[in-house]
Amino acid sequence: MSVADHAPKEFQQDIFKELREEDELVLLARGLGLLRIVTNLLHSYDAAGNNLILLLGADERENTWIGEALAEHAAISMSPKARGLSLVNTDVMSVATREKMYTQGGIFSITSRILIVDFLSNLLNPETVTGIVVLHAERVVATSLEAFILRIYRQKNKSGFLKAFSDSPEPFTSGFSPLSNMMKNLFLQKPSLYPRFHLAVAKSLEGRKKAEVIELEVPMTDAMKDIQLAVLECVEVSISELKKGNSGIEMEDWTLDSALHKNFDTIIRRQLDPVWHRTSFKTRQIVRDLTLLRNILGALLSYDAVNFNRYLDTVLAASQPPPGSNKQNQSPWLFLDSAHTIFETAKRRVYAGKLTNADLTANPNAVPDSMHPVLEEFPKWALLAEILQETEQDMYLNPITYDGSNGSILIMCGDQGTCRQLREYLQTMWVKVEANENEEQNADDSTPSASFMMRRRLRNYLAWKREFAKVSNALFSENEKAINGATDQRSGQSSSRGKAPPSKRRRMRGGGTTSGDRSATGALRTAGDRDAHLASLMAELQPTEIENLQKGEIAFDTLEDMEEYYELFDMNELVVVHPYEGDMDEHVLEEVKPRYVIMYEPDAAFIRRIEVYRSSHSDRNVKVYFMYYGGSVEEQRYLSAVRREKDAFTRLIRERGNMAITLTSAAIAPEESFLRTINTRIAGGGRLAATATPPRVVVDVREFRSSLPSLLHGQNIVLVPCMLTVGDYVLTPQICIERKSVRDLISSFTNGRLFNQVEAMTEHYKSPMLLIEFDANKSFTLEPFADFASAANQGANATPDLQSKLVMLTLAFPRLRIIWSSSPYQTAEIFAELKKVQDEPDPVKAVSLGLEDGEDAEARTFNQVPQDMLRVVPGVNEKNLVRLTLQVGSLFELANMEEEEIVGIVGKVAGRQIWRFFNRSVYDE
Amino acid sequence: QALPQRSGPSALLVSPRQKGNPILNGVKAVAWEYSDIPADYVLGATTCALFLSLKYHRLHPEYIYNRIRDLRGQYQLRVLLTLVDIDNHEESLRELSKTSLHNNVTVMLCWSAQEAGRYLELFKTFEHTAPTAIRAHQSTSYPDKLVEFITTPRSINKTDAVGLVSNFGSVRTAVNAGPDEVALIAGWGEKKVQRWCNTVREPFRVKK
Repeated sequence: MSVADHAPKEFQQDIFKELREEDELVLLARGLGLLRIVTNLLHSYDAAGNNLILLLGADERENTWIGEALAEHAAISMSPKARGLSLVNTDVMSVATREKMYTQGGIFSITSRILIVDFLSNLLNPETVTGIVVLHAERVVATSLEAFILRIYRQKNKSGFLKAFSDSPEPFTSGFSPLSNMMKNLFLQKPSLYPRFHLAVAKSLEGRKKAEVIELEVPMTDAMKDIQLAVLECVEVSISELKKGNSGIEMEDWTLDSALHKNFDTIIRRQLDPVWHRTSFKTRQIVRDLTLLRNILGALLSYDAVNFNRYLDTVLAASQPPPGSNKQNQSPWLFLDSAHTIFETAKRRVYAGKLTNADLTANPNAVPDSMHPVLEEFPKWALLAEILQETEQDMYLNPITYDGSNGSILIMCGDQGTCRQLREYLQTMWVKVEANENEEQNADDSTPSASFMMRRRLRNYLAWKREFAKVSNALFSENEKAINGATDQRSGQSSSRGKAPPSKRRRMRGGGTTSGDRSATGALRTAGDRDAHLASLMAELQPTEIENLQKGEIAFDTLEDMEEYYELFDMNELVVVHPYEGDMDEHVLEEVKPRYVIMYEPDAAFIRRIEVYRSSHSDRNVKVYFMYYGGSVEEQRYLSAVRREKDAFTRLIRERGNMAITLTSAAIAPEESFLRTINTRIAGGGRLAATATPPRVVVDVREFRSSLPSLLHGQNIVLVPCMLTVGDYVLTPQICIERKSVRDLISSFTNGRLFNQVEAMTEHYKSPMLLIEFDANKSFTLEPFADFASAANQGANATPDLQSKLVMLTLAFPRLRIIWSSSPYQTAEIFAELKKVQDEPDPVKAVSLGLEDGEDAEARTFNQVPQDMLRVVPGVNEKNLVRLTLQVGSLFELANMEEEEIVGIVGKVAGRQIWRFFNRSVYDE
Repeated sequence: QALPQRSGPSALLVSPRQKGNPILNGVKAVAWEYSDIPADYVLGATTCALFLSLKYHRLHPEYIYNRIRDLRGQYQLRVLLTLVDIDNHEESLRELSKTSLHNNVTVMLCWSAQEAGRYLELFKTFEHTAPTAIRAHQSTSYPDKLVEFITTPRSINKTDAVGLVSNFGSVRTAVNAGPDEVALIAGWGEKKVQRWCNTVREPFRVKK
């Protein structure tokens, strides 16, 4: 069996042949089978045996795919030398094991951070590497770890191969001549572009029978339209608010149009990033709000009406301003009438109910006649049911002639959540709710409906809401109580006192943005809606007999279970619901062999996958239904994604056309020209003459996440990666440096980590230094946009700003020196300067500092995030933190410990506090 | 020479050399007075400051070394308050970084006269303050801690935190919840669920 059989499309074979012959960057449109090409390539080397190939940049899913595919290939082609893929992905694997693996050879998918350390510490000699395959080449920017790895590789190994892949062309088009820069970083000369409109691609996909695609535009319901419109209004206002607050910044493209784009909040964040540490609280809040609003937009189309409303309840509770603050701290969008529309409409999709003051005051527990569940269903659901019926008829009328595909139906949707929703819907859509009360949709017995599912959801929701009201009371009620404690008491006791607050509430809900009490409306709403209201709904929703007969739990299958299903079910009757998962979807198609595919949400890459699938199996008929909400954000996003990819390819093709000259000059020897640049900078090479051995710096292995090590290497400094307990960089026996980016600086001041780090450095080194490193393209200043006058006016009770904290730090440690660096490039030069005519550091000593006797350095390396979380827990301080992390396994373990056990480790007071933090119930009080 | 005796009291001492320096306009919260001192400013019993504008430094690079020498090793904390008023500051700052190491001064950068004035104020104000604010987490209310705890892993926001505790009731149950359960909460997508569940189960220590 030849390799070609696995790459059936002509263009895939073209690429494969090209890759076997020369090193290049392959840029493929999404959905055209990138991983398939990669695995074919890897297998061809694997089968040859006796090699050491490194796979860079693969994520977890890709590793699984490639691993499985290689094993499969090896089994089919029966190549005795093939070994498949080995993973080197965590620090769990010990140095000795890694060394042994490298000498044995094979194909390794390896995390960049481990590889760089192994390269530098010579555990893995770059000269022994047969070749490197880079996935996600778009991430290889100049300062990235991958670029650093490739540089070392190319400096020492000129004969090994190097192939890079990417299926997202967009990042290659931003900036100045981005493609040629990227090629330089990759040490490659030839880019090979395969957009969907490439001749070979188009020919292979369109040549023979095309897949039959039926496009279905579904109208949104009026309520959905209203909410979408209102959210967009909020976005618009937030953006204009943002413009007002940051007049100094470029923001012409902060428009509503860009807001429709999938990650407009990240775009804005990126634009604000250079000045992020200087922006005001309000700006940051609005940026957070934009993320939230984007989530709401997405949730509107994916969560059912009940869950959507529930999500909004959570949003509202979480948006409560902190106690003691005034309304200025409230998110601006919450003041808008549109916000009111969002919340009201979302509620009305779930239940209609007029909650008049008269009802409440007269008889708090009675069921107002006007309230009943509405439970709006997604229009797509009905359509889905319709399509399923149609396919059934279709299959009946055109019974399966043997054509290689199963009679199964594949439904593809956005994520696992939607999957669950659809599975539940499909399972329950024929269950009828008994004809009682004011149900209307049960008139026609033959229509499927989601009412069963929705009623169940509503019951859950109401149960949750009771608890939730308590939670939000317990957590966020300080200010609410202060503003009107009456509301709370009313719901608990009798009616007499409640008159004023509810009427007040009504007025405010409908009203303007002027009221200072407005900040409490969210909590008020939760509080007001409670009890009376909910009790009535609950009564109405009592499960009917039929509902009781249904099993409560819905079993859902994940992909892992699929093999079992094959054994259990006849493939011809199977309906598979699956989320989009990038290249993994190819597997799904191949394995399910569906006759009908229903795309519940649009996805450009998946359409191509079907095209590829369709044209690779000319004997299989596939009918594709493709549905989207007309005029929705979903549709816009789909269209703009397709357009952006096409534009990106067009630009890249143009740039490639103009690139030839740059490339030939760079082609001579990129690594040599790189070295030359470096050498001229160092005092005309005088330094090289002066010192026989190149300068050395001990670097903490965790620092390899930043770009500084790469730049230090560029300064001809030898890096010695070590596990350091004290400091990040040791330059000389005296100088130890703790590096902080501005963002780190702020957070490590807040949780006290910096103080302890500096304390440790001061204890062990003569010259402890704090490096405050700004980003290369961030503004080099700490000054906030707002003037100091306001900060000064707040006096002593205001939270201290960054400047005050720096002052406190220097006062506490007079020996601490501060290095201010405007960029990592600048830092590298400062380091070189500081190291001039100084002794070299001793790695062994640097590692041993800060450890207790007999302790191993590796025993003291901690995972950062769980540790940061632990720092937040009341009762934990820097001293018992170490004890806890040494004696307790994980947060999970700590949370489940008995009070006495914790007390045994950290003492009585702290132990009780910690235990209480984990075990305190938010439902109480 | 002994430390100036008058530096104990509340006032910030200013050398007459600094007369007319606009940064003095920014010093409002503490009292200041002129005094004959070797440094430009005396900010406390053991703290002094020299003021340097980078523009001036470029024209007279030897000036600051003379001034540091004049201090004759007095004062424990010697701040070099540097005003960044030029654009290509890289070379000067690199040099000052090295100077700070050899001459025992601490460089503080500021970008406006106002900010410089504020630094002077802050040094004086915090002269006797214990550094508690930067030493450990400042205790806040339980809800704040709760939200902060849950939002520490990247990309989990406050709304998610509220959704999580309101569903599970306590931090312990939220920590114990499996990915399937957490995924049912509105707003928790796959990535967040993974991140939360992995982080709380991740061992504190990196084991070999």
